[in-house]
Amino acid sequence: MIAFEHVGKRYGGRFEALANIDFQVERGEMLFLTGHSGAGKSSLLRLIMRLERPSRGRVLVAGHDINRLHHSQVPFYRRQIGVVFQDHQLLFDRSIYHNVALPLEIQGVEPREAARRVRAALDKVGLLHREKALPIELSGGEQQRVGIARAVVNKPSLLLADEPTGNLDPQLSADIMTLFEDFNRIGTTVMIASHDLALIARLRHRVLQLREGRLVADQEAA
Amino acid sequence: MSGSAQPAPRRGARSHQTRTSSRLRSWLRHHRAMCFDSARRLLRHPLGSLLTMLAIAIALVLPAALWLVLDSARLLDAELDESATLTAYLEAGVDEAQAMRINEALGAHPEVNATRLITAAEGMAEFQESLGLADALGRLEDNPLPASVVVSPRETRPEAVRALAGDLEGVSGVDEVRLDLAWIERLAQLAELGRRVALALAILFGLGVLLIVGNTIRLAVESRRQEIQVVTLIGATHAFVRRPFLYSGAWYGLGGGLLAWALLSLGGQWLAAPVTALAESYGAHFSLPRLDAAGSATLLFSSTLLGLLGAWIAVSRHLAEMRPE
Repeated sequence: MIAFEHVGKRYGGRFEALANIDFQVERGEMLFLTGHSGAGKSSLLRLIMRLERPSRGRVLVAGHDINRLHHSQVPFYRRQIGVVFQDHQLLFDRSIYHNVALPLEIQGVEPREAARRVRAALDKVGLLHREKALPIELSGGEQQRVGIARAVVNKPSLLLADEPTGNLDPQLSADIMTLFEDFNRIGTTVMIASHDLALIARLRHRVLQLREGRLVADQEAA
Repeated sequence: MSGSAQPAPRRGARSHQTRTSSRLRSWLRHHRAMCFDSARRLLRHPLGSLLTMLAIAIALVLPAALWLVLDSARLLDAELDESATLTAYLEAGVDEAQAMRINEALGAHPEVNATRLITAAEGMAEFQESLGLADALGRLEDNPLPASVVVSPRETRPEAVRALAGDLEGVSGVDEVRLDLAWIERLAQLAELGRRVALALAILFGLGVLLIVGNTIRLAVESRRQEIQVVTLIGATHAFVRRPFLYSGAWYGLGGGLLAWALLSLGGQWLAAPVTALAESYGAHFSLPRLDAAGSATLLFSSTLLGLLGAWIAVSRHLAEMRPE
C-alpha cells in the first residue's frame, strides 16, 4: 500500500527532517509511527498526503509514485486517504453533520446517499445524537471522534492519523484506538503517528520508530 | 461498485452514462448551493457589502456617463455630416441657361448626391435678407454676386470631400469651389479625443473595480483560510475552492452595476431640465442621453464580469501560495 524508497526531506536546504527512509506497508496493515516530537513523524505523514514532496527518493502509494502526480490530480489522490488531525481541523461555523459531510460534498455525492453515509459514520463513532450540534459544544474527545467520522465517511482505503490521542485522557485514548482497530478489521490500512508508548505497547501492532529523521526500529506486530 | 458477477456490456455503457450525468448534476448542485451561499454571506454584512458595491458603482459611473455623452455626440455628428456641403461659384459671365447646364453637369458627377442652383438674383435676395442691408445693396447698379451651386456630396469624410472639390473645380464654367472643412475636422478630432479619453478612463476605472473586488475577496479568503486549508486537505479541487468566491465577486459586480445604473438614471433626471432649457435657449433640441436596454445590459454584464475576474485573481493568488514546495 505504501512504500518509501530511500526518502529524504530537507527544509531550506539545510535542516534534514528525514534521511534515507525505507519501509513498506502492506494493504490492510495497521501500524504505529513513534518518536519524540521533531523526530519526523509529521513530515513523513505530510509526504504521504503529498502536502510536501521528498527531496530524495520515491514515495509510492498503491503502486503510484505520488511525486509524479500532476497538481491537478492531487485532489483526487487525497480523496482516497482519510486523515485524522491532532487538532481535529473541524470547521466551527457548521454543524457536526456538515463537518462530516464535507468530503462527500467535495466529491459531489448525491445528498440522500451522503446523508446515509454521514449518519452511518456518526453512528460508528457514537455521536449520531449530536449531529445538529456545533463543534464548539463538544468535548475534546467528541471533537476527535467527529474528525475520525469525517476521515472515514468516504470509505478510504488508507487512514492516516497524526497524534489522534494527543490531548485525551487514557480511557478516551483507548476508545479512539479501538475505533481505529475496527476500521482496520474491515480492510482499511491504518497508520497512526503517536508518542503514547504505553498505549502502543498494549495494542501489539507493528511499530516504526523514528529518531532525528532516521528510521531506527521496525518492530513487527507481536 | 455494484457486485453483479457478469455485467453485460450494454449495462456498462449505461452506467458510464449515468455516472457522467450524476457528475453533471452534482456539479450543478454545487454551483446552485454556492450561488445562494455567497449571496447569504453578502447579506449577513449588509452595510459592508453595500459600501463595496457603492465603491464599484462610483468607479463605473464616470466612464459610463462619458460614454453616454459621446454616444449622443455621435448622433449630433451624423446630423452635422448631412450639412457638409460644397459651394461651387460660377464664373462671372455665366448666364442663367449656362448656369443650369453647369448645374446638371455637376449633378452628374458620381460622387455628388444632390445639387441646388442659386442664381445671381436669388443669391442677392438671400444676402439682402440675411444681412438686412436691402437698402444699401439695392442701390448697387449691377449684381456683383456670381451664381452658385450648392453640392451635397455622397461621402462626407474630409478627404473625400476635398477630392470632390478638386474634381468640380475642373468643370468648365466653375470659378472656384469653397468648402469649410475646418470645423468638421475639428469636430472629428474632438470626438476622437473624447473616445480615447473615455477608453482610457474605462480601462483605469475597470482596473479600479478589479482592485476593489480583488481586495474584498482577498479579505474574505483570509477569513476562511482554515476552511480552504481543510477542504484542500480532504481533496477539494481548486475549482471547488474558488467557486464560492467567484460567486461573491459576481454578486459584488452585479450589485455595483445596478447601483451605477441607478446613479446614472438619477443624475440624468437631475440634469435633464436645465440641459433642455439651455438647449432651447440656443434654439436647439437636445435632451440628455439615457441608457437604453442594450446599454444597461452592457453595463451590468461588464460590471459582473469585472467582479468575477477580480475574485478569480484574488483566490488564484492565494491558491498559488498554498501549493507545496
